[in-house]
Amino acid sequence: MLTRLSLRIRVFLFFALLLAGALAALGLGLWMGYHRLGADPAALVGFVQAGVVAGFGILGLIAGIWYLFDLNVAKPIDILAGSLRARAHADVTGEMNAAIARYLGDLAPAATAAATSLSETRNALAESVAGETATLAEQKARLEALLSDVPVGVLLCSGNHALVFYNGPAVDLMAAGAAPGLDRRLFDFLREGPVRHAHARLVASGDDDAATDLLCSTTTGAQVLQARMRLLPQGAGYVLTLRDVTADLAAQARQDALLTEVLDRARRPAANLSTLLAVIPEGQAGPGPMDAALRQEVQALVGAVTELSARHDEARQDHWPLTMTRATDLADSLKARLQAHDLALETVTADLLLRCNGFEVISLLDDIAVHIRAAGLAQALRLSIVEEDAGAMIRLVWVGQPLSMRLLEAWLEEPLDRAVPDIISRSVLATHATEIWPEPFGALQSLCLPIRQARRVTQRPKPVQRRVVYDFDLLDKASNSVVADTALSDLTCVVFDTETTGLLPGQGDEIVQIAAVRIVNGRRVDGEVFDTLVNPRRGIPLSSTEVHGISEAMVVDAPFIEEVAARFHKFTEGAVLIAHNAPFDMEFLRRVEGKIGLRFDNPVLDTVLLSAVVYGQHEVHSLDALTHRLGITIPQEARHTAIGDTVATADAFLKLVPMLRGKGLVSFGDVLTEVRKHGRLLKDLNG
Amino acid sequence: MADITTLHTGLNSGRKHSVLVVEDEDNIALALDFLLTREGYTHDRVADGDAALPKIRAMQPDLVLLDVMLPGASGYEICQTVRLDPLLKAVKILMMTARGSSIERRKGLAIGADGFITKPFELKELRDEVRRLLTPEG
Repeated sequence: MLTRLSLRIRVFLFFALLLAGALAALGLGLWMGYHRLGADPAALVGFVQAGVVAGFGILGLIAGIWYLFDLNVAKPIDILAGSLRARAHADVTGEMNAAIARYLGDLAPAATAAATSLSETRNALAESVAGETATLAEQKARLEALLSDVPVGVLLCSGNHALVFYNGPAVDLMAAGAAPGLDRRLFDFLREGPVRHAHARLVASGDDDAATDLLCSTTTGAQVLQARMRLLPQGAGYVLTLRDVTADLAAQARQDALLTEVLDRARRPAANLSTLLAVIPEGQAGPGPMDAALRQEVQALVGAVTELSARHDEARQDHWPLTMTRATDLADSLKARLQAHDLALETVTADLLLRCNGFEVISLLDDIAVHIRAAGLAQALRLSIVEEDAGAMIRLVWVGQPLSMRLLEAWLEEPLDRAVPDIISRSVLATHATEIWPEPFGALQSLCLPIRQARRVTQRPKPVQRRVVYDFDLLDKASNSVVADTALSDLTCVVFDTETTGLLPGQGDEIVQIAAVRIVNGRRVDGEVFDTLVNPRRGIPLSSTEVHGISEAMVVDAPFIEEVAARFHKFTEGAVLIAHNAPFDMEFLRRVEGKIGLRFDNPVLDTVLLSAVVYGQHEVHSLDALTHRLGITIPQEARHTAIGDTVATADAFLKLVPMLRGKGLVSFGDVLTEVRKHGRLLKDLNG
Repeated sequence: MADITTLHTGLNSGRKHSVLVVEDEDNIALALDFLLTREGYTHDRVADGDAALPKIRAMQPDLVLLDVMLPGASGYEICQTVRLDPLLKAVKILMMTARGSSIERRKGLAIGADGFITKPFELKELRDEVRRLLTPEG
């Protein structure tokens, strides 16, 4: 019972007991002396006076000794214990403050020595581990680069369909927007049915190597994705690769619709014509009305065929599997290939991107250029690629004799690649829906190859953050929906911070910035960040701008709090909210709940309270003090930015977790019970 | 050169224009035969690409109605050869094709065709095009 109380309280109780004992002994002695004198009432006043004087003397003496003891023994021991814990559990380094414990004899130097030795041992261990880790990290980085660059979306899910790994293209494909998240359910992004069905199919097959193809769509239905699912060993989950086939399917549907329309619009005039002609005696002209009917039907048929062919030509351009290729790349590759044949090529190219299969186009031009030289038409060539209409014109130019169509057409019948005799050069023209022809070019000769689509090279769009995000430990994590029983280190948390126009939400102050990071499985996920400015619909006092650096001009184009809060709600779904001095930030959030129709009913932890649990209430619990104690440095430029403070708070939380565990506080429930004891420091927000 | 020009101007004032049809499809050829006769042109037809050039050289027609897809030499090849031959400078060429993309048209005109018409065409459209080509410019 007593051991559960803090050291300082126990010491206090000890002295209180001593005081009580001393007073009781004094009282007893005086009482006995008084009775020995025959309980003379005249002597009573003397006895009481002596008792009061002695009592106050004892009280003063004991209180004084207690105070010195508390100040110089109990409190330093507490602080020393806190520092040792920080070093033992949370990897804090740096000198311990031995001065505070100068009256504890050798204890402080001994503790310092122990901490130093611990730190040295750690360093030695860390060094050897670091060597191994560096190798692993290098391999990991290579793998990450590889996976982040593959053009297909790659996802890894645990057996209960929670995201464990995803790459950038997967985020784009699933239209997950700004709030993807490890440990989120896959079905927040993809429709459940096909995925579950495929998973069940694979599990039932009992074959570890089996893979299955499926077609699924995003929850919004905007994208149709072709997916392949493969189980991980030991039923740990599965890999899903995704490819967007929305465009393919739409093109296919358009083609189908066009074909149906062609048949429909050709069938009717054909049938009508056949009927009309059947009634006209062979070799004779039909009577007037019949003749008119015949002409009308023919007109309809011709009109339909002409219009439909035009539409077909247009549609063909949509679904070629052709990519945008740089004109300069085409020119360079052709130059290199012709150099191998000792054929000089001068190149003049506009800054264009051509929609074509670069390899095929180059092979075709290479082939023809070699033929041109062999036919004795030219010894050197010039390649020009210029913009023309909506596309580009590729032109091989030479001085000399014109190229005859007869030769050109013969060359086009030859295989493009001798190893693949079935594919002739002409097929390149078919895939690009184009033609090739010789044409005089001023006083020179040329060969023209138009490409239907091209666009000018513009400033590259800002590169999308292409990265992979993962935590493979999620595969082994048993799902535990009861937050109270979950270990702190297993909680999925969102640590956040707000910057505001002022400190009084009740008097019209508003949020101007929200930043948040996610913590999954005891790790801050670098790729999952929420950071946005908010238009507060009011001015920002200069005094506030001086603190957080956000001026009115910066938030003019920012979204309003309703939109941001809704997005933030999505970001925090299913997570424990953590903030430093949470009541302040939560009050701002609570105020918009009514307007957006969503509640921030997440469990809440406050790092101020966690710090109080670990270090005791006598310490300062500001973010600066806490991070300083934990050896976390906030770069000066990041301090008082929402994201800088958020990251610092998250890192502080991650260091506090093992220290809490060292105090026997493992689950969220344990921590909450302990935190409530410090309730008077701040109000607890968990109801 | 001079005599050809004289000949050409002479045509307008009385002599019938001559048209050669290079077309392998008999039914189209039949229709064209009917139309050209009605329009008052003298005309002839060959069905094979390889036979076309000797015929053009022998006949020196005012206009060749030239199909693109032919057995033997293609329409483009025939067109190009005609254009490269100074002796055939006065021969106009109207190309006919079943596929009529803008790139094909561009190719035909680049190779030297004077006109380009897409099948299926209405005979009126063809007739107007033939008349346009046979009317000397200016």
